[in-house]
Amino acid sequence: MYRKQVRRRRALLALLIIGSFALLTITYSRGSNGIQRGVSTIFSPIQSAGDRALKPARDLVNWFDETFDAKGENSKLHTELEAARKEAVGAQAALDENQQLRKLLELDEGGAIPSGYDPVTGRVIARSPTVWFSDVTLDVGSGDGVAVNDPVVNGDGLVGTVSAVTNGSSVVMLIVDHSSAVSAKVVPKGVQGVVRPSVGDPSDLILDFIDSTKAVHADLAVVTAGWQAQGLSSKFPPNIPIGEITEAGIVEQEAQQQVHLRPYADLANLDLVQVLTGGSR
Amino acid sequence: MILTPKIIVRLVLIGVLGVLLQLSFFSQVAVFHTSPDVLPALVVCLGLLGGSMTGAVSGFAIGFLLDCLLIQPLGGGSLVLLTVGYLAGLFRERFEIHTSLVPPLLCMVLTLFAELSFGAVELMLGLDGSVSPLVIRQMLIQSAFAFVLGWPIYLGIKRALRPALVEEPVRPPRPRRPTVLGA
Repeated sequence: MYRKQVRRRRALLALLIIGSFALLTITYSRGSNGIQRGVSTIFSPIQSAGDRALKPARDLVNWFDETFDAKGENSKLHTELEAARKEAVGAQAALDENQQLRKLLELDEGGAIPSGYDPVTGRVIARSPTVWFSDVTLDVGSGDGVAVNDPVVNGDGLVGTVSAVTNGSSVVMLIVDHSSAVSAKVVPKGVQGVVRPSVGDPSDLILDFIDSTKAVHADLAVVTAGWQAQGLSSKFPPNIPIGEITEAGIVEQEAQQQVHLRPYADLANLDLVQVLTGGSR
Repeated sequence: MILTPKIIVRLVLIGVLGVLLQLSFFSQVAVFHTSPDVLPALVVCLGLLGGSMTGAVSGFAIGFLLDCLLIQPLGGGSLVLLTVGYLAGLFRERFEIHTSLVPPLLCMVLTLFAELSFGAVELMLGLDGSVSPLVIRQMLIQSAFAFVLGWPIYLGIKRALRPALVEEPVRPPRPRRPTVLGA
């Protein structure tokens, strides 16, 4: 009797472990499946309601944290700084673009977010709990026009891209997720590279593939490059602010610079964001 | 643990509520720049109260629901949390240690184990990009949070599952010997 029970327990444990590996295999071979979408669709209204109900409690805890960390800022100055920074980065990007366009004798319109995009405002209703994933769930989905690969921004700058969509919710892979890569350029220098995350540190990004002969220094702004070539194009429109260079140094014996930047968007405390839908992807 | 249909419903509700609270509350608050992860602690408490099989099944189900809601690769969360639940249950079955420090300490150790395991699963499946040393700090702080939150979670679950729990025999207090003075 006891042996039978032990055998049954072992069989159940083996079944669960095999089940986990089978799920991993299925997900990696087919991508996100119907079960996930179904469960997410069922739970997203509950999550949305829970998110709203728990917002005061969250704000309270975050307030304590911010007070403890002496992060309390004057909201008016903060707003002004945001506006000034956006203007400055937008102007620098526009100037850079203008110079290039003059050189090439082409005419085009420039701006922080190009026309043709239809921004959809969404609220963050869930967030990945482990330090290894950097995903957030929004309360807007395909029913609102959101599609996979749509860029996501907030008032400060680039946040990430939509990685999965259900009818009423969407998952955003943040630019600090380990699988994120954003083609970017330094303004006003115009030096291009790829922004990669530094996993586990949401306040640090790495701008890779920067030619060591190009002079790049701290305090310069980095914006999305938004390239287009031979029918292919970047997921991100050009000139969306990403961050500010904090440190630039040549890696020894390498022909590339390692540039660290601080993202403008506070990715640890996201609330309202905009999904740029309808762009030419 | 005596599993009746009512208790199974309670276990399911605990799991769903835990996952929703984690995603909507704990993951969105930051204390010392780190969000608490209460799900390993929840699974540890279920394993401690229900044994290795209850822990493993609860861990698998909670991990599955988490992966579904975050539209993450299925199976990773299940594998890690089922291991955590199984180990917590195994601890209860193998060691007769019944001090009030066991739940928080086990929550702390197994939360650290869970975070390391999530990292290992990610490495196994291909981790792009560099890893900041701050990850270690975040994992240690999450373990500290688990230590703090472990005891209230344990008490809450114990209360919710009380009808199903086999009570430990309470030792009667040892009678005092009469002293020379007769007091």
